[in-house]
Amino acid sequence: MADASSTQKVTIDGHEVMVPPGTTILDAAERVGVVLPRYCYHPGLSAPALCRMCLVEVEGAPKLLPSCVQQVQDDMVVHTTSADARKARRAVIEFLLVNHPLDCPICDAAGQCELQDYAFETGQLHTRVTDPKMVLGRDNVTPEIVYFGDRCILCTRCVRFMDEVAQEPVLQVVQRGHKGYIDTMTGDLFEHAFSMNIVDVCPVGALVNEDFLFKARAWDLDQAPSICPGCSQGCNISLGTKENQIRRAKPRPNMEVNSYWMCDEGRKTVVNWGSGDRLEVPMLKGDSLLPVDWQRALSALTEALRGEPGAARGVASAGASNEALYILRRLMEVAGFDGGYFAVPMAEEHVLAGFPKLALRSERVPNARGAELFGFERSDDPYAEVASHTGALFVLDDPLDGAPEGFGASAAIFVYLGTRLSPAARRADIVIPVTTFAEMEGTFTNFQGRVQRFAPALQPPGLARPLWMSGSATLERLGTGSAYRSAAETFAALAGDYEEFDGLTYESIGPGGSLIASARTQTARAG
Amino acid sequence: MSERKLHPAVAGAQPMYRAENDPDAPLFEGAYKQRFDDILTRYPDKRAAILPVLAMCQELRGWISSETIERVAELLDLTPAYVLSITSFYTMFRPQPVGKYLIQVCTSIGCDLCGAENVVEKLLAATGTRTGEISEDGLYTVIEVECLGACGFATVVQVNERVYESVKTETVTRLLEELR
Repeated sequence: MADASSTQKVTIDGHEVMVPPGTTILDAAERVGVVLPRYCYHPGLSAPALCRMCLVEVEGAPKLLPSCVQQVQDDMVVHTTSADARKARRAVIEFLLVNHPLDCPICDAAGQCELQDYAFETGQLHTRVTDPKMVLGRDNVTPEIVYFGDRCILCTRCVRFMDEVAQEPVLQVVQRGHKGYIDTMTGDLFEHAFSMNIVDVCPVGALVNEDFLFKARAWDLDQAPSICPGCSQGCNISLGTKENQIRRAKPRPNMEVNSYWMCDEGRKTVVNWGSGDRLEVPMLKGDSLLPVDWQRALSALTEALRGEPGAARGVASAGASNEALYILRRLMEVAGFDGGYFAVPMAEEHVLAGFPKLALRSERVPNARGAELFGFERSDDPYAEVASHTGALFVLDDPLDGAPEGFGASAAIFVYLGTRLSPAARRADIVIPVTTFAEMEGTFTNFQGRVQRFAPALQPPGLARPLWMSGSATLERLGTGSAYRSAAETFAALAGDYEEFDGLTYESIGPGGSLIASARTQTARAG
Repeated sequence: MSERKLHPAVAGAQPMYRAENDPDAPLFEGAYKQRFDDILTRYPDKRAAILPVLAMCQELRGWISSETIERVAELLDLTPAYVLSITSFYTMFRPQPVGKYLIQVCTSIGCDLCGAENVVEKLLAATGTRTGEISEDGLYTVIEVECLGACGFATVVQVNERVYESVKTETVTRLLEELR
């Protein structure tokens, strides 16, 4: 507890709160549950106090003060809903609506628009303006983002994002006053690895993603907290789904990982993740590969592992969850673990200049660190490591594109655990359908060693189930473990077996993620 | 521009509406290059020099083209968009080429009450142009501007650097003739 000299008492709408000096009224108000309306203010950007939406009355002050920049003083008494404050807000809304087209029915932001919300709150039925509305039209600012000039309220969040966070001030307010609009240099489109964050920060529907235009209404989307699988950064995201399809990904704030931002590539990767032709049923090889029910599939896998096929080697995907990789390792250990390998696709790294903790990492997989913790080795050519293996061969969620001819032919038993049935995978003896990250609960370990949870957003296709479920049921049949009832239970077992995860549980990881043991000591030493 | 070398303090503060403007004149050459260098010595960083540098470009060409914007951005290490935001914010920078005489009519409240609208109409009719256009003979461009600061003598009209007070519709023709 801080001592009295380092905190100040503020009264906001009758609620007393102690805050450290330098806190803004807006932040202090949030501590007592009062969320002030705002347009120009965004927690990840500087506050220019230009929208005048968050004006509050402070006792003793000669006029209303912008709460987003006004810092608290000891014994300050603030009224956020006094007649004056409400009147000022009403006036701001009235001005903003002078030229706004009110085209909410065809606006992408409808349902998630702060102009809609606050205009609704002021409840003004009529405008007092009789002049015709000014028309500014629309234009692309990047090849994928359209700017609707008429909807824009000139809060300049996008301008400040490009200036302060992207540090490429390519967007500016052109003209001034009621003629003002946002533009690049006339006619130019700009490109930036993090450009789509300007759509997220836009409080209205002025900047919209062409990819998402007319795809779904905001209120029709189900949201699930998740982790971006695009690279080893592990940005916290929210998956918007409709009709069991991912429609979009938006960043979820996490100051330790991605702040309020995420890259464009991640968004595009996520939307297409797990779409297309999926492996939906377990299959066994008889004369040919035939679909079977889960009982027969798991019995076959159990029998195969009991039959002492020889030591197990495997190829895993570093896109698999910690739980899946742990279960794979356990299954392989039944036959004797003789080496597991994974490939890491590499591409150009893009660091976000204004928040360098965040980058589109060159390792374009989410869980390479996790795979290493379970004893898998990164390899430039994982197929070569196992191609001529004669014991048990496991492949987890690797599409086997580019696997050599006759891959797995020499193996005593070839088990394919995957989401897609590629021609190479068709040579497997046992095929087990698994789920993508979006279809299950689980965790990834990002490049910092931060274990982060993701929630299921979609129903898995057909009979596909998470590997922790089918794998642990197999382990129970083999008498080397018990079938887990949840991903959390699987993680608890994993944390018991691997020191790096010692002490971590789904509950303790929470929404922000937790560092593995070695990363914790590293951070402690650095701090 | 005179041959006499300008003091750096005024290198960027010369009259910027000139009858001798050339819309395609080469930028930052000869004396203008020297003046550009002089302007930079007067400011703590390059960005701060943007207004005088733009004013100098307008003085030479009579308007700010997108080529000018890109050149200035390059020379001052700014993005073209930033320079555009400046030139479009300050209405005294012209976004199109202008005639030999830029006729700016005040249409703010004082002049408006004393018939500025009629003066504008008369000027447009007499020059055969619409607002902002160059007349066929290349002599005139008529635009409306905000207060010119001589409200006691409405309607106020500024032609290039010269201010005409108490302009009436009846005196418009004489004004144009005088210029010719």
